[in-house]
Amino acid sequence: MLIERKWKKWVYFYLPMAAFILFTLFPFYWMAVTAFRPDPELYRTWRQPSATPLWTLEPTLEHVKGLLQTTAFPQWLWNTMAIAIVSTAISLICGMFAGYALARLKFRGSEFLGTAIFITYLVPQTLLFIPLADIIRDMQLGNTPWALMLTYPTILIPFCTWLLMGYFKTIPKELEECARIDGATRFGAMVRIIFPVAVPGILSAGIFAFTLSWNEFIYALVFMASAEQKTVPVGVVSELIRGDIFFWGQLMAGALLGSVPVALVYSFFVEYYVTGLTGSVKG
Amino acid sequence: MTRLLESEKLLAAALLTPGVAILLLFIAYPFVMALWFSLTSIRVGEAGEFVGLANFEKAINDTIFQQAFKNTVFYTFWATVFKLALGMWLALLLNRHFRFKRIVRASMLLPFIIPTVLSAFAWRWMFDPTFSVMNWMLYHGGVITDRLPFLSSGDWAMWCAVLVNTWRGMPFFAITLLAGLQTINPDLHEAAALDGANAWNRFWHVTWPLLLPVTLVVVVFSVIQTFSDFQLIYVLTGGGPANSTHLIATYAYQIGVASGLLGEGAALSLFMFPVLFAVVWFQLRYLKRMENA
Amino acid sequence: MSRITRRKFLQYSGAGMAGILAAHRAPVFAQANTVHILRWNDFVPAADKVLREVYAPEVQKAIGIKLNVETINANDIPARATSAIQSGNGPDIIMLLNNYPHLYSSAAVDVSAVADEVGKAGGGIYDASAQLNKVGGKWVSMPWSVVPALVAYRKSWFDEVGAKTFPKTWKEYHDVGKKLKAAKHPVGQTLGNTFGDAPTFTYPFLWSYGGQEVDAKGKVVLDSKETVESVRFMTQFWKDAHDEGGLAWDDSNNNRAFLSGDISASLNGASIYVAALNGKDKFKTEKGAPLHTDILHAPLPGGPKGTHAYHTAFNHMVMKYSKNAKGATELLRWAHKKENYDKWFTVQKGFAVGPTREWEKHPMWKQDPVMAPFGTAPLAQKRLMGFAGRPDKKAAEAWNKYIVTVMYAQACSGKMKPEEAVKWAAGELGKIYT
Repeated sequence: MLIERKWKKWVYFYLPMAAFILFTLFPFYWMAVTAFRPDPELYRTWRQPSATPLWTLEPTLEHVKGLLQTTAFPQWLWNTMAIAIVSTAISLICGMFAGYALARLKFRGSEFLGTAIFITYLVPQTLLFIPLADIIRDMQLGNTPWALMLTYPTILIPFCTWLLMGYFKTIPKELEECARIDGATRFGAMVRIIFPVAVPGILSAGIFAFTLSWNEFIYALVFMASAEQKTVPVGVVSELIRGDIFFWGQLMAGALLGSVPVALVYSFFVEYYVTGLTGSVKG
Repeated sequence: MTRLLESEKLLAAALLTPGVAILLLFIAYPFVMALWFSLTSIRVGEAGEFVGLANFEKAINDTIFQQAFKNTVFYTFWATVFKLALGMWLALLLNRHFRFKRIVRASMLLPFIIPTVLSAFAWRWMFDPTFSVMNWMLYHGGVITDRLPFLSSGDWAMWCAVLVNTWRGMPFFAITLLAGLQTINPDLHEAAALDGANAWNRFWHVTWPLLLPVTLVVVVFSVIQTFSDFQLIYVLTGGGPANSTHLIATYAYQIGVASGLLGEGAALSLFMFPVLFAVVWFQLRYLKRMENA
Repeated sequence: MSRITRRKFLQYSGAGMAGILAAHRAPVFAQANTVHILRWNDFVPAADKVLREVYAPEVQKAIGIKLNVETINANDIPARATSAIQSGNGPDIIMLLNNYPHLYSSAAVDVSAVADEVGKAGGGIYDASAQLNKVGGKWVSMPWSVVPALVAYRKSWFDEVGAKTFPKTWKEYHDVGKKLKAAKHPVGQTLGNTFGDAPTFTYPFLWSYGGQEVDAKGKVVLDSKETVESVRFMTQFWKDAHDEGGLAWDDSNNNRAFLSGDISASLNGASIYVAALNGKDKFKTEKGAPLHTDILHAPLPGGPKGTHAYHTAFNHMVMKYSKNAKGATELLRWAHKKENYDKWFTVQKGFAVGPTREWEKHPMWKQDPVMAPFGTAPLAQKRLMGFAGRPDKKAAEAWNKYIVTVMYAQACSGKMKPEEAVKWAAGELGKIYT
């Protein structure tokens, strides 16, 4: 009996799990190996008998050092962080307010507005960036982080609003009503009662927003002009690719280092993320 | 002030203003401008003149655009199917208790965390005809005798793109579905098991229906993202070989930006809209029906 | 919606926002005599260093201009140029490749004065560059350099299959290539959607067979017996002699493949050789010698209707929206002065040649015989995209859609028969040349 159970466990759980882990994480392993591989090895074709794509016996830090010292990578990291944090904050606040209004308050046009906000999510950035360049210029925000800090929320607010709307709907109305009977205003009840209870949902929306803004490419490419203002995706792609020479070692090092901050954020909050989605999903 | 904080209508207006203002200024307004572009013959530096639907007509007759449209549908369909199937499976696996659960859950998200542009480069090199580690592994594993044309053949390249998109998006599906799974009362499963249902039946008749709302939502978001995807193809293949992997977004970019034909580029981009709109509309209707039920 | 009212509206809202965002206003370049130039990440990184570390301080001393050099991936320049022109705000000088000046001509400042001056002092600007930079008799941009494309090849491997000199006709090249591929040293060429190495091959190839996109009146004549013959030949040539992965290659793949000893010949700028020179210990032949000792350069072979070449032109356009067009023009004038241009030119080691003929006589060409062919390469360029029409906007659109390259790619990949591929390409051209 026990042997049968164990066999089943292996086939239905351990093997698939291992396969998933391999599939998901292999590229990262490979990126790491490439980032630490010395240059001569990078140029070995896969057919050559000396090719060892899966490991290197002479790891080197030269690419990482090159990345950090000869490019403005640290600056890009800082820029991307700052922009992501501010855009996330703006989107969360807007999303929290809008989500609450749409979930809890009754007013004419609430359904229309909810749908309209959702529809804006459909408009692709490749369509918008030309007219947006015009607007950014008129507001004199070109080549400043604020160009992105104000345009990224357009991608983030719809999702945050939807997520938080769903989450707020699951919070029992009694909580608010108690608070209001005790003399709190609607607004006060929202801030002091609802938001604290919704923290998992808020965190979850925040993490997702943070990821999306870290990942954005086109607006950053077009609105940012100087090397010191670039974000990680744009900087890595535009500076480490010189036409027919890709600095693969540095590229991969940049790819890895560029994901570390977000990964750290996730490692702290992933449990919240899951529970946050749970709540909104229930609604 | 208390009136503002009390009245539903006024409070709603105040709360919605910041978000709506940003969306109006940075989406609605430029969107209208882009719509106007698509109806004119505007080029870089020249205002052009009103041409009605000529740009749209040119697009429909453009063989490269037809291919791009087909590609986009193909890409979105298969990537979504795989992401859903694999994401669901992974979610079911992650829902169990095992050692290292926390770290595995966190690490599963890595493909989603890393910026698309960067991971697409990594994949590009993994598929490179001269340096591919995949070819190396398959060759030394005795599976192939000559290299596989990962990105050099139009069909292969499309499937590679689907693979990379699946790799990237599957974690998002998994984690969201996992959240949904955790709201399902385990008693329901026990009851079904007692009634003699095996694992597959339990999944299909208990889990799946309860997860449908979440599934629908995550599928819709994913379809929207995938249909309008730009970065992945731009980095992985640039639309080649021979224009065979262009998506609507990458082709619109090539026409609008590289050739300076802004009006035509805008028209091409706008073709995405009806499809996305239809997808979203159906989902919203379905959800509303479920809510009322 | 008149521009004025819209701008006022946005200015008010902008002013409101600005009040809050005061600390982060965009740097206003109005102060000082600043010139912001946007160029590509040079394939020769040392050249960018010259711009930043030599030009910048020197031009400041000489004419008081503060030079701000920005370099990005060449593929991304069109996006930046488009948004800059549309929004009326951006770099003062933008580097443009090939016939992009024709696309953006309406946003350009007339630089005929500079061009005439430089041309006179330097023995004349190359005719091809002139065609690419002049619209309606006026110079809309100033040619900066030309990057010639020649075939870099492995001398020893060609020797082994009996080719003591590089083949002079396509047929010869085909025969040699067949032997090379049999010896596991195929020829490498990209037929992908990439701006550098693909059109520089496919256009001259087409011309050498007598094919052309349009006639002098602008009528599409691509669908001709000559074109079909060229496609047929290419398909066979591809299978017999080429690394077929080239369908997916971009501009960098052939460099890597060559440097790794995977291919024996490839059309490229000098970057392969320069990389081998700079990496003497990294890149070796299979016998252990430094790779650069086994590399030679030769022009493309000729076809039944002649020998042709296409070399990538790099031009600087002074933008009309610029608030310092005067300074930008002065900068160009200064940079083209012989003693200043020389500093940039020598560091290129022959990867780029100057816009005027005097640079063919530069002593640098005598230093390395392997690089010598690059010095006079631009003279072989007799045609440009859009032949026999002008290299204008329509030609640029065809170029950007990779129509000619895709025609060959479709046939070589087996997706279309040569006649179908030619018909398809002619159809696509027809939509542009209406």
